[in-house]
Amino acid sequence: MTVLEARGLAKRYRRGVWALGGIDLAIPGGGVTALVGPNAAGKSTLIKTWVGFERPTRGTANVMGLDPWRDRSRALANVGYVPQSPALYDGLSVEDHLDLAVQLRRGFDRAAARARLDQLGIPRSSGARSLSGGQQAQVALALALGTRAPVLLLDEPLASLDPLARREFLHVVTDAVRTDGTTVLLSSHIVTDVEQACDRLIVLGVGRVLLHETVAEALGRHGITAGAVVGGFSTFRGPDGEPISLVAGAGERPATLEELVLGYLASGRSTAEVAA
Amino acid sequence: MSAALTWARVSYRQQRWELLLVVLGTALTAAAMLWFAAELRSLAAAHPGCVDGSVTGCKGIADRLDGLQAIGMRLLYLSFVAPFGMGVLLGAPLVAREIDGGTAQLAWTLSRSRMSWLLRRIAFVALVTLVLLGVLAVTSEILAAALQPTADLGHDFTWIGRRGWLIGARGAAALMIGLLVGALIGRVLPAILAAILVIGLTFTGVSLVQDRWLAAEAEVARFGFEGTTSLPAGSLLLDSGLQTPEGTNYTWQEAQARGLEVRVVDEQGRQYASNADLAAGRVLGVDIQFFVPGSRYPVAVAREGAVGAGLGLAALGLAALVVRRRRPL
Repeated sequence: MTVLEARGLAKRYRRGVWALGGIDLAIPGGGVTALVGPNAAGKSTLIKTWVGFERPTRGTANVMGLDPWRDRSRALANVGYVPQSPALYDGLSVEDHLDLAVQLRRGFDRAAARARLDQLGIPRSSGARSLSGGQQAQVALALALGTRAPVLLLDEPLASLDPLARREFLHVVTDAVRTDGTTVLLSSHIVTDVEQACDRLIVLGVGRVLLHETVAEALGRHGITAGAVVGGFSTFRGPDGEPISLVAGAGERPATLEELVLGYLASGRSTAEVAA
Repeated sequence: MSAALTWARVSYRQQRWELLLVVLGTALTAAAMLWFAAELRSLAAAHPGCVDGSVTGCKGIADRLDGLQAIGMRLLYLSFVAPFGMGVLLGAPLVAREIDGGTAQLAWTLSRSRMSWLLRRIAFVALVTLVLLGVLAVTSEILAAALQPTADLGHDFTWIGRRGWLIGARGAAALMIGLLVGALIGRVLPAILAAILVIGLTFTGVSLVQDRWLAAEAEVARFGFEGTTSLPAGSLLLDSGLQTPEGTNYTWQEAQARGLEVRVVDEQGRQYASNADLAAGRVLGVDIQFFVPGSRYPVAVAREGAVGAGLGLAALGLAALVVRRRRPL
């Protein structure tokens, strides 16, 4: 069943910049989908459209078949959201945030959220301001998971976390997927951040979907060849600065997930340059 | 009860300094008003002759009375400014701080609807504001009554807008206008500055409309030897002017615009354009004053109160619309 859907979805901001250029996506239920792309690729815009924060300029965005702009209450009942920087209320304690969530969201699972926070050793009586960045992200995640929403939209939550905090965060996410069957969309501009957790990959570049399939399928279909291929559309620099290319098929060696993404981003950039 | 406490806590923590400032300011103003009112009353009770002027030789008492009255009237200026200040300080940051601080993202995705969030979010601040405005409304009336012990202040235009429940109506409207401005701008400091401007302009407009309304209801009193020498108690003097022998009334501005210029006044207070007209007995007119009798005071207050309530509701509706449609960042 398709949980998150976009049809011809385009978004132009007031200053005339197109953040999304008419994308089509259908994300099935279950598992973790990584939404990867460079800065300004449109990842946040896409997620914010599904949360009902942005109104599409063209096309439609649906969550469980509901338009989050027109039918916000019902659509949002299916969504838990963690923003890029988890903005918690400065003057409130963690427990106050849980109280607030109970007031705001019918059916909020305070006990589960408490248990999750206790398991992570986050003191519930502490003020949100006194928590570390990683702990704040965990509180935001606990609030999103406490909604018991079937869809979890995570907008670059790992960006400001240290490696250990990232790992803990992703562990909680994958645990939720395993135990509750939650569908998670996790955006990041660094593929290695999400590699360990995701089983589906969307590569977004310059407002377009460059790749969307399962990680296993994508890796199975691509390989790496040294040097620039004809046209050089998927050529990028390797770890030692040498040009390498992502190619369809086996190639000289299998591609890593990072190389897969870099190859598609290079391909997307080149296409955009050619188009320009 | 738990829900109310949660929202009160959120509101208090989000606007702690503004709330403390406003509560403290109002408490001090109200306490000062009550103290001055009590002082004025006790002075009047202890020295009734000095206060009503029937006894001479009590300069010290009169000076003290004058001093108390001067400060009392300044306090009434505070109760005039307070509702607008509350609108700016408490209204503008309400939604603006949630957007500015990013917490709107959390609240708006957790909430069933942004409308229900908005109503709960403003409830505590609105309640506190109404209570404070109520305190000011009552204490300002008490002070006004002490300043004018013989007046029927229920039918008296003296200090209109600086006492009584008009303070509450203006404050409620200012709060909602501040809320709207804050929701539109989404940044605390710019919202506060813009709210000062918008609230100031709105109430200047309301005041101009009220003036026109009152001008349309004005009555005319002839002055001088052929008329009265003072307006009825509690009246609101709007303007003065000239009444022609045909009975047409002009303000001085209108009279001047029509070339009716008074140069000579006779002993009876009749006015002439020149000495030649005086000699010929061609009267230009007599002095008049345009005024609204004090009996119209409750109507004027109710009318402005209704306008304030209407403005407040309209601003709340618009704020809800803005919150419903805007980005949370």
